[in-house]
Amino acid sequence: MGNLFPNLITIGIIAISMLIFSTFTLLAFNLTNFLKIWEDKIEVIAYLKRGTPSTEVEPLLNKTRLLEGVEIVRYVSPYDAMTFMETKLGRQKNLLEGIQPTVLPPSFEIQLRKDYRNSTGIKEVVARLKEIPQFEEIQYGQEWVETFSVLVHILRLTQWILGGLLLIAIVFITSNTLQLTISSRREEIEVMCWVGASPAFIRIPFYVEGLIQGLLGGGLAILFLFLLHQGFFLYIPPSMQSWLAKIPVLFLPPETIARILLGGMVLGFFGSIVASMRVLKYK
Amino acid sequence: MVSEAMIEMYQVFKTYPSQISALSDINLEILSGEFTFIAGPSGSGKSTLLRILSCSERPTSGEIVVHGMHITQPGFKKIYQLRRTMGIVSQDFKLLKDRTVNENVALALEVTGHTRKEAKSKASDMLGRVGLGEREEDSILALSAGEQQRVAIARALVNSPPLVLADEPTGNLDARMTLDIMEIFTDLHQSGTTIVFATQFTGLVKRFPYRVIQILDGQILDGRKAGVDQGREVKEGE
Repeated sequence: MGNLFPNLITIGIIAISMLIFSTFTLLAFNLTNFLKIWEDKIEVIAYLKRGTPSTEVEPLLNKTRLLEGVEIVRYVSPYDAMTFMETKLGRQKNLLEGIQPTVLPPSFEIQLRKDYRNSTGIKEVVARLKEIPQFEEIQYGQEWVETFSVLVHILRLTQWILGGLLLIAIVFITSNTLQLTISSRREEIEVMCWVGASPAFIRIPFYVEGLIQGLLGGGLAILFLFLLHQGFFLYIPPSMQSWLAKIPVLFLPPETIARILLGGMVLGFFGSIVASMRVLKYK
Repeated sequence: MVSEAMIEMYQVFKTYPSQISALSDINLEILSGEFTFIAGPSGSGKSTLLRILSCSERPTSGEIVVHGMHITQPGFKKIYQLRRTMGIVSQDFKLLKDRTVNENVALALEVTGHTRKEAKSKASDMLGRVGLGEREEDSILALSAGEQQRVAIARALVNSPPLVLADEPTGNLDARMTLDIMEIFTDLHQSGTTIVFATQFTGLVKRFPYRVIQILDGQILDGRKAGVDQGREVKEGE
């Protein structure tokens, strides 16, 4: 009973440390997911040079369709482009009054094959499209994709660096608490050695204690994270809700939760090993 | 009938880092089934000798064999196995104050693989034999010094060890309790257990017809390896 408070503190600190790590994991998971969804919907738009004869459009369409990584190609004439803009502007379409459709360049909307819908695949297809002289410009939201990829990469790096430091802290916190526990039970341990208890008989309960502390800490972290995740949806402003409706904000998948719990147990176990090596000497 | 040696010590020395010599050239042999007093004044090396026999301390040099185990060999790590062959009784009892009488005795059985139920039952039997059957659910703190010493003895004996090391087990007790404790040891000896009993009280030693090894300033006084001469126990230091 005397060790209950230190144990609760340790479990709490483990929970907070793992909550920080798990939050980064959740953010990285959702951003990666979002990136995949976005990449899946990505279209490449290849603008034709002005003055490209209409007779060249069909052969160019066929040539583009044959490129490695291309699934569907659709020709968008200047008139189609104007109609699209009028639809998008809605009530404000009168802004386009006086603008001739021919101002807008013709373009190809290119959908990529599924296995090319990633930043590497996109770049490969774009490189091939750039070799076709009839194309003036190729757009695929490259800045957005690259910036987002870098952001996800930074997030993952931060997750592991910060997480790594937190995880080392967990090992030492668990170790310190167990050292206190071992010290408070020194008399009992001495008597157990006296009557012939094996080193394993004496150490195993402390290893189990470390495992349980890590498991409970990890479990609490997952629980808090889940409550935060649910709370997120309760408190987002209405203006963001419709936007978020299109993007799934998922919780961690079961296998990641299991890994976090297992990680907590392993760290608690290491903490108990460190503690027993430092203070548990068989006498 | 020639008994096997239970304890053999050859040229054993123990010197502490402060250069204090606790034991010097100890050679002795204690046969299986013997009751041997290790007699000497306070600070003579009795407790050091017993601690070395139980592997609580390592000798500086020398060779020791206990119950067939060469405990001074460099690779000897099975201290817990050695301690399971011996019951150790010390002057300060070494009982757990936050446990009951039965739980203290049962601990010695739990560590050797008995279930809680088995351990409780055997502990109960042993406590009956030392006259504490009715106190087994009491806290240790509720017992007198003599009763606590009997609990310590019960714990030392509950695994039926062939060897008992007793370091001044009657040191804190009055005369009546001392005799009670000695009766337990005597009965034990008669059942074939080897007993090594360290004491500073020569009066106690003289009351019993057992072998005596006298120790002073870390040395055995007559320096002979003891033996049994045609079944007659050799009394030394009378």
